[in-house]
Order: sequence, then structure tokens, then C-alpha cells
Amino acid sequence: MKPAAFDYAAPTRLADAIDLLVAHADAEPRVLAGGQSLVPLMNFRLAQPGFLVDLQHVDGLSDIRLTDDELVIGAMVRQSTAEESADAAAGAPLLVEALGHVAHPPIRNSGTIGGSIAHADPSAELPAVALALDATMTAAGPGGERRIPAAEFFRGPFETALGPDEILTEVRLPRRPGGHAFVEHARTHGGFAVVAVAVDLAVDDAGTVTRAAIALSGVGPTPIRATATEQALVGTVPDAESIRSAVAATVAVLSPAGDVHGSSETKVDMARSYLRRGIELALDRAASRR
Amino acid sequence: MTTVDRPTPPVRTHKAERTWVGKSIRRVEDPRFLRGRGGYVADLVLPGMLHAAVLRSPHPHARIVSIDTSRAEAAPGVHAVVTGAQAAELTDPLPDFGPNPAAHTWRCLAVDKVRYVGEGVAVVVADDRYLAEDALELIDVEYEPLPPVVDPLAALADDAPLVHEPLGSNCAYDRTFEFGDVAGDFERADVVVTDQLRWHRSGGQPLETVGAVAEHDPATGGFRVHTNSLSFTSYLFMVATALKIPANRLDIVPMPAGGSFGSKLFVTKPLVIAAMCARLTGRPVRYLEDRVDNMANCDHHGSDRHYDVRMALTRDGKITAIDIDTVDDYGAYIQFGVGHHGNALAQVVGPYTIGSVRYRVRAVLTNKNQQGAYRGFGSEVNNWMLEQMVDKAARELGMDPVEIRRRNFIRSFPHFIPTGNVYDSGDYDAVLDKTLELGRYEHWREVQEQARAEGRYIGIGLITAQERSVFSATEFWFWFDEPGAPVTSMPESVTLKVDATGAITATLYSCAFWGNSPETMVAQLVAEEFDCDPHDVSVVYQSSKNGLPATGPGGSRTTVMLAGAVEGASAKIKEKARRAAAHLLEADPDDLEWRDGGFEVRGVPEKRKTLSEIAIMLHLFKHSFDEDVESGLEESKVFDHPYTTMPSADRKDLGVFYPFMGHACHLPVVEVDVETGVVTFLDYAAVHDCGTLVNPRSLAGHIQGGTAQGIGTALYEEFVYGPDGQLQTTSYLDYPIPTSLEVPELKIGHVETPSPWTPHGIKGGGEGGRMMAPAAINAAVNDALAPLGVRITELPLTPDRIRAALRAAGHGS
Amino acid sequence: MSTREITLTVNGRRTTLSVEPRKLLVDVLREDLGLVGTHIGCEHGVCGTCTVLRDGRSIRSCTTFAVQADGADIRTVEGLAQGPELHPLQEAFWEKQGLQCGYCTPGMLMRCVEILERDPDPTPQSVREQIASNLCRCTGYATITEAVCAAAEVMRSGARAGTEVAS
Repeated sequence: MKPAAFDYAAPTRLADAIDLLVAHADAEPRVLAGGQSLVPLMNFRLAQPGFLVDLQHVDGLSDIRLTDDELVIGAMVRQSTAEESADAAAGAPLLVEALGHVAHPPIRNSGTIGGSIAHADPSAELPAVALALDATMTAAGPGGERRIPAAEFFRGPFETALGPDEILTEVRLPRRPGGHAFVEHARTHGGFAVVAVAVDLAVDDAGTVTRAAIALSGVGPTPIRATATEQALVGTVPDAESIRSAVAATVAVLSPAGDVHGSSETKVDMARSYLRRGIELALDRAASRR
Repeated sequence: MTTVDRPTPPVRTHKAERTWVGKSIRRVEDPRFLRGRGGYVADLVLPGMLHAAVLRSPHPHARIVSIDTSRAEAAPGVHAVVTGAQAAELTDPLPDFGPNPAAHTWRCLAVDKVRYVGEGVAVVVADDRYLAEDALELIDVEYEPLPPVVDPLAALADDAPLVHEPLGSNCAYDRTFEFGDVAGDFERADVVVTDQLRWHRSGGQPLETVGAVAEHDPATGGFRVHTNSLSFTSYLFMVATALKIPANRLDIVPMPAGGSFGSKLFVTKPLVIAAMCARLTGRPVRYLEDRVDNMANCDHHGSDRHYDVRMALTRDGKITAIDIDTVDDYGAYIQFGVGHHGNALAQVVGPYTIGSVRYRVRAVLTNKNQQGAYRGFGSEVNNWMLEQMVDKAARELGMDPVEIRRRNFIRSFPHFIPTGNVYDSGDYDAVLDKTLELGRYEHWREVQEQARAEGRYIGIGLITAQERSVFSATEFWFWFDEPGAPVTSMPESVTLKVDATGAITATLYSCAFWGNSPETMVAQLVAEEFDCDPHDVSVVYQSSKNGLPATGPGGSRTTVMLAGAVEGASAKIKEKARRAAAHLLEADPDDLEWRDGGFEVRGVPEKRKTLSEIAIMLHLFKHSFDEDVESGLEESKVFDHPYTTMPSADRKDLGVFYPFMGHACHLPVVEVDVETGVVTFLDYAAVHDCGTLVNPRSLAGHIQGGTAQGIGTALYEEFVYGPDGQLQTTSYLDYPIPTSLEVPELKIGHVETPSPWTPHGIKGGGEGGRMMAPAAINAAVNDALAPLGVRITELPLTPDRIRAALRAAGHGS
Repeated sequence: MSTREITLTVNGRRTTLSVEPRKLLVDVLREDLGLVGTHIGCEHGVCGTCTVLRDGRSIRSCTTFAVQADGADIRTVEGLAQGPELHPLQEAFWEKQGLQCGYCTPGMLMRCVEILERDPDPTPQSVREQIASNLCRCTGYATITEAVCAAAEVMRSGARAGTEVAS
């Protein structure tokens, strides 16, 4: 289990990194962030890029900035750094909670926020968070910079809106006061999520849900929004029964592919259970913060 | 004749006061491992050493039409590329204890066709592992896919495709054994409980894979091979045969194993590949499996069984007979035959007074990696099957699981079970009582009651089961009417050397370190004999060439067998030392007694010689002694299996083959989340009786660790082959191994019922945790789900299986 | 493919060496530097036998290219003991039998060094949660948890007494 040979560069400027991707286009280049998804794939020789552009020394990709309305996380911020960041905790507690489910600390000490999102594993945690929070991804390429909403970013398993010569530089997460929850089932602790649920919602003083954003991982080729559930919750004061029926609205249309960790039916059962738990937890937290 | 003579060995008297045996001491092995200086096979670098990598088949079943290695041979750093056909010229088939090996020939690389995903088809030898793997990608193999044989029951059909054409069938073995009056017992039964059960395959998955570094000597044609596989001394000749050399030209050097759990037992393939490549290239060669090799091509997957079982009982819960029909999916080869079922037959009736047994085993060959050894060697599966049946019977009779077990316990020893094997000693009530107390059985029953009222599903599993130790090899051949060999002795040897300063070195043969504690255990036994500090005893491992007869670890035999060898060698040392001391003290040898590290004249403590005083005289001043005394103080003992007897000619009695019978009771408490099928532990108590303990802390470690593996077997681990024959679990992403958060902290208790027939009364205990936990956890989950009318009879109990069972019972959401 | 020159400080010793970009950090440690205490288990980041510290934080050296560690400070199991003196964690693992086969031990020790550097007084439950990153196939983890707590106590009392504790 040793990777195939490749050429390598570790530029310090973003423009140079993009130039390298363009210049080595024939070698099917990949950017190397923390490597915690890419390197295992290379060890299995399931990925064999001919050129790696290591982004770890590129200026400006490793900052965390908190403004009044958003948290901006550089793509190369290590997952453990974000997890321990007071700004991240204040700006996007859902993200921080989700990070606790991303593999294990030694993986998160290398793995990056941008790397996980750009890898777009359909069972990964961070894409669901990005989708639930309506994050915006900033991409830099030869033609300059563009911003891609999460809803348009994830295209399929391991497939995103990023072009082959584009680099994800930052993730912008809008700050949303309210209640959040991240819950998941993994076969063992730190394993890949079989089903994960990210919930971000707000309630008013009367307990009426004013906003609900819910995303699931593991039940489709990309993370998906539980739109029907969100709509059923907004404008109501949820109780056990209405949560159950709000969840059912999403569950009814799920048809996840079965795999070695569970049949389609079991994943639907998991989604039903974890959606309910996530919503209940987020409502509790929203109520306590009101 | 349906029974054999049952002579029993003389009953031993065990020393009442022991200094070191029975004491938890720091292991003498540990300092090197703690420093990262374990000296594993991957750490060995020889000058000029090359690296081999194996090309694995992507097909479960396919004819090899052609292999073109030219591009690989031209790749940078490549020294040799060997195809299966070439390997068949360079080597003979691998050692195979299975039935009729010629009908399912097993070689180090596939020749004409591949028989499972992962089977090796070619090997590349290169300057390093990276370059070797580069070249693997340049080997062009043309395959003609054949229909895969995946389902073992379908494989038995007349028109099923054949895994091995010369066998003419996919059934490698089929025989029914009857012990006692099975038909009569069923006829007389008040109640017959039946069930079908399914145990899926998992494996030891040690964190270190299997490998070897081979050196070839062109001058002699011989090899020196360093490997982390084990147990070569007795069967060395079989490996030499595979390499086409005389056995006295092969020297196997044992390396410490980074875990085995059975899966490194007599693994010959990596060794033969490395040696073949070393001879071909004229350079030392390392072949070390990578993780995918170890999951897909290790030849050591665990049991994979279907059961149809009937149990006969009286209305008051007395079990009278059991009728077992099992189909075992062995995969593409069957290297150890059906020895796994010999393990089952050693304790087939568990701790119960069941009077008759029918046992049918069909060993089926399929397109999967073959079975090998995994902690329990098939007896753990029998434990699970039996305890499931006992629980089902209790349910049908409306009995408490504790009550039905007590009703059937064996209470008089030695006890010969219907198969002919003997249980030497035990106190099953004591173990059960201690477990119920330690595990707070009554308390949890109350909690369970309250929880059910709240809609929570808590389950209490209680199993009482056997833990056989110290196998005799008859269990590998009593399956056949021929060869009719005499009993196999399965010896283990130790050499003890007292140097001129009185310091002691123990030499072990065929017993490398593999996570157990052979050095600590031997050091404790030596210290017990000679009143020294175990940490002052030096323990070394001898390679096979200079080896005394030895069999190596397996079947929880090491401690008992080494204890016998140490005892014997110590007695010889002491005899020589006694004579020497008598000479030096001008006393009669019979007047001397061993006391506190030396010999002294009984009643005259000032007339004494310490071992070091005696040793220096014997080493340097031989001429001070009688003519017949030789210099030095070194003795060896070859200790043979202390109790094994012949099977009857008609195999209605298999004789004694696994006599030192441990016992345990496990009591896990779980909660099942019925929405998701996730199982979590609330408590777990385990009490084991392995006779006299040598190092209680080490045994507790085996119980805790074995239980962790049993938790893996019960809830998480499974090698899944799809209907297309593809192995779907080829990484730890798909084969979940319990982490610290999946394993509860056990409450461990010990009961010590000494064996009457072993040194100090020791029984083996290395496999116990895994022999109990799967049965216990299944029982707990079934207990939890009982109010929902759900009982699961298939392991592992994944959330998927639990949810599927709940859905089938109408608990959809 | 070309090689690159990198500089690593391993267990306090600065080394410059030339490596192929594809060479994994674990192989550079084992083969180029002869530090075979760091083991290879799964080569896909799950088992943790290859765990080392990079700039004080635990990482998987089997899913890290050595070129990515250029300029980094690396600590391995070989850096724990000071001559004959074992690190308190090593002592505690010995005392509590926190190992059986020893193969996961170096990675587990390095992970535990990080755990105690970040929290000198962890609860047993916290230790259990944190060592879930590293698989041990032998012990069932109970004695490892005990060992980490015992080492923490020794290290705290050492620190209180002002004695230097090797780490």
C-alpha cells in the first residue's frame, strides 16, 4: 500500500499554486490540503495524481475571521484548530460540534476544513454543515475569484463545482443565532458516518420556529437538505407529534443506496431517528438561549 | 467397541505455598516494546535485502488465460517477477492438513485459475516496496471469469460450479458422528427445541500483518527465514517440502508477533514466497503483507457456519440430547481440515450433563479466502450455538436462564462427555454465583423492569460455557478412519542453563512472543523452582534448526506445556545440583533438601550450598567431582502432552484430546436503541476459572482483550462477500474494529479450580474472552428485545440486522 | 521522479535528507532514519500504530508525506525514554500492563503524550474518549486507561515538586 510516484510543489503564493495546476494539467494534478482523505486513497492507489500542489505554505489560507455576520474560515485551517477556536465556537457552533465527529483528533490535527469540503464525500460531516448553514465557498482560479453557494457546490459523490484549476480558498459561514445540533451514526466512534444530521434553527419567544435549516449526509450522492421538514417546522411550535410528521415528510422521499453498513431501509430508519434527535436537541438549545 | 479405555494420569499434589506462581508481576518482555524496540519482522534489515509484493486477483473465480510480465520486468528497480505457473516449478504445494489435499491443491500463487478475490497470481521483487507495487501495475493478466461459488448451501447443489474440479464436488468433508443414544433420547424427550443459526466470518486482524525475511545460502541450498508466524518446529519438514529442500537445510527464526489471535498460526505462504524469491534473486527478500493482503489473502478468516440444531429436554428443563447439523463455509482451501469442529467436539455439551450428541459437519469450499485460526478455533462458535439453544429452551419452558443452567451443570469430575473428551475439574456453581454477585444480576433485573415500563429495552445476557485447553493433535485426524495413527504427543521443550554465577537462562523452542507472556510466565515458573527473582531470569528463543521437539502456541496450550517442561528441566538441574552439593558438603544426597535457593543438610541450615556456589564448581572445577559428572549445569526437558488417548476404531468415542477444561460465566447488560438498532453496554461482568493462575493480571488482560474481540465478533466485524463474490470489506473503513469507546470496562473475577493433572494445576486461558462474549452479547440483545417478540440468531448483531429483525416483527418506525 | 531536500527535527535532532515526494513520513522515519519504533498497521489512517507528534500534535505518519513535514519538529517513541529512565507513561504502561503484543504501543504512547500535555489531569472517561483514536487489538483498553491516569498523577506530582519530567 504505497502511493504511485508524483511530482510535488509547495508554493507560498496562491497565484503560484493556480499556475502550477494549469501548468501540470496533463498530469491530472490535485491540491494537497491535510491529505487525510487523499493520501489513503493514494496508498490504495485508487487515486494516482501525477502532480500535487501542497497548499500548506500558501499565504492567507489559514486564517479564521469572525465578523458581525459571518465566520470566514481559510480552507487550510486545520480541523483541530477550528475545533479549538473561540471565534469558530461563537460564529458557527454547529461546525464545531460536527468537527468532533470527524474521524479522530490525530486525523483532525492534519485534516483541513477546506480539504474535507472539497473532497465532497457523501457521508462526510462538513459538507452537511456547509449545506445546512448556507455557506459560501470562495474559489480562486486563473480567471480570478468566485463565490459558490453550498447548494450549488456539491454535485455528486466526490464531485464539486470546482474546476480542475480552481482552489477552494475559504468557507464563509453566515452567523445565525438560534439552536444547532449535529448528530450521527457511525459503526464505531470516529468511523465514517452512516447517516449524519446537521440542524440549525431559531425560535421566537413564543416557541415558534422562525427558521430551520437541516441537512443530511449519507443518504444520497451529495448531502441533501431536508426541505420538507424545514417547511413543516417553520411557523409552528413543534411538539413530539409534529416533529415526527415533519421528519416523515423528508423520510418519505429518501432512497439511499444500501451498502455494507446498512440496507436502504435501515438508513432510512437511521435518518428518521437522527432527524428527530437533532431537531429536538436544536430546539432545546434554541429555547435555552432565547 | 464403542468406548475406549479411559486410563487417567496420576493425580498430582500441588504445592500449597507458592512464591511467584499466582503473583501479578510486571512483564519481563515489556521494556523493549515500550521503547519501540520490539524487533518485529518489519524492523529487520539485512544487507542487500529486496522487497516483494503480490498481485492479487480482482476476480472471485476466473481462469488465468495469460500473464505478460514483460513490462513489469523492465520497470525500474525490479529484480524478478514470478507468476503462479513459474512458482509451481520453483515450489511444491503448501502444507495442508485438510482431507484429500491432492484434490484441492494449494500453492503460494494461483496457477491455472484464481479462486477468490485477493488470491495471489504473481509476485514482484524490487529494491523497495514502492517500486514493487509500481511494477505490479504493469503485469498484464488476462482472465476468463467463471461463475463464482459464494453461498455454501448453493455450493452443495449437484450442478454448482466447482471451486476445485479434481474434487468433483464443493463438499470437502461430510460425516455424521453419533455419541450415545441420540434417537432414543429424542424419542423420550418431553420437549424438542429446534433452531437455525448463522455465524458470519470475521478474523483476528492483528495490527501487525504476517511476513518473512528469507536468506538463501547457495552453498548448501538451504534457507534461514525470519518470520512472525509460529509453531514450525514439529512440522518444519512440511515447509521444507514446499521449498523442495531437505528439512535440515531450513532454519526458521521466530520473530515477535504484533498480535496473532490465532491468525499467525503456521502461516506458510509469506514464508514460502519470500524464500522462493530469495533463491531466485540471490538476495535476502522481505515479503510482508500489507493490510489489504491481510484482509483478503491471509488464509486466516474465522468460522463461517450455518447451523440446524435440535435439543431434547425433559419438561423440567433437563437437557438430554443435542443434534447438530452444521455447514461450514471454508473458502477456497481447507488447510487445517475440520479441526475447528474437533475444537467444538471437545466441549460440545458445554458445562451440561447432556447424554447424547449427534454432530454432522459439512465443510464446503467456496470462492472466498480460506479459514485458518481465530481465538477459539471454532469452539467459540459452538459455545454460542449451545447457549442460544439453552436460552431458547428456557424461554419455551418458561424457565429463568440461571435456573436452567443450574439444573444441567456437571458437578462430578473427572467427567467424560459423550464424545469421549474429559473435563478434568471445575466448579460451575461457584463461577455462576460469583458472576451473579459481581454483575449485580438482581439489580439489573429490577432496572430492566423499570426501563421496560419507560419504553427502553435493556437486556441481560447470561452464559456459562467452556474454555478447553491444551489440544492433542488427534482432533486433526480422528475425522478419518485412516491413517489410524497412534496418539500424537505434541511436545513442548525448555532448556534451563545455570551459568557459573548462578544466573538462569531459559531457552524456548517454537514459542515466540505473540502478545502472550511466555517470558514472564517461564520466568515466574523458574523463579518458583529456584527462589530467584523472575526479572533476573533470562529467556531466549531458539530457531528451529537447533530446536528440541516443540509444537508452539495454539489451543491455549503454552502455559501448561511450558510449565511441564520447566518443571522437568528444573528437576534435572536440581538432581545434578543435589549430587554436587552433597559431594561438596560431604553429605548423603538424600539428606539434603532444597531451601531458599540452595541445598542444605536437613536440620543443619549452616551446612548449605547455594545454587551459585554449586554452579561455579560445576562449571569450572569439574575435577572436584566424581568421574561421571560432566561440566556445566544445563538440562532440557521435552514435555509431552500429559493426557491424550486413542479414539475408538468406529469413532463413536473420540478419546481424550482436550482435557484441561476451563469454564467461564459472562454477564453483559446492554441497551438496544430500537429506533436505530444500536447496542450499548451498561455493565459487563466476567468470571473465569482457568485452574491455578500464574499471573492473574496477564490472565485478566486476556479476558478483557478477548472480550473486546468478542464484542467485535458480536456487534461489528464481518468479512462480507457480495453475491458476486467480491470482498466488500477490504479496509478498516468497512471492517469496524472496536475502539476504547465500544469496549466497556469489565468487572473480572477469578475462580481457581486446579487441574489434578497439570503442574501447579494450571489450565490454559488465552482464548477465553472471545469464547464467551459473542454468546453472552447475543443473549443480552435477545433478552432486551424479548418484549418485542424479536430474537436474533445471526452474528454480528449490526444495527442493520437488528433493525431488519424489528421491521420484520412489525416495528417499522 | 525527482527527490526533494527536506529538514526534519526528530526527537530534537535536526536532519536534512533527500526524499521522493511520495515517500510516507513513516517510511522515512523507519527506513531513512532507522527509527523503527513507529509501526505500520493499516496504511490508511485508521489504526493509529504510526502515530507521531508533529509540532506537538499527534498525526498519522502513514497518511503524511515526508515532504509535508519539511521543517517540522517530530517526536517518536524513541524520544520518550531518557537513557535508562523510562518516561512516566512508559513506566505506567509497564506497571499496569497497558500492552500485550506491543505493536500499537508506540503510537498509543505518543497519542497519550499529547493527551497529557493538553490535559494533565484527565478523568478515566476522558482518557477513554481520547484514546479511541488508536486501535489496540490485545488489551481491551482498560489497562491503557489506567496507565494514562497513573502516569498523569506521577507527572503532576513531578511537576509540583519542580522536577523535570521528560516528555
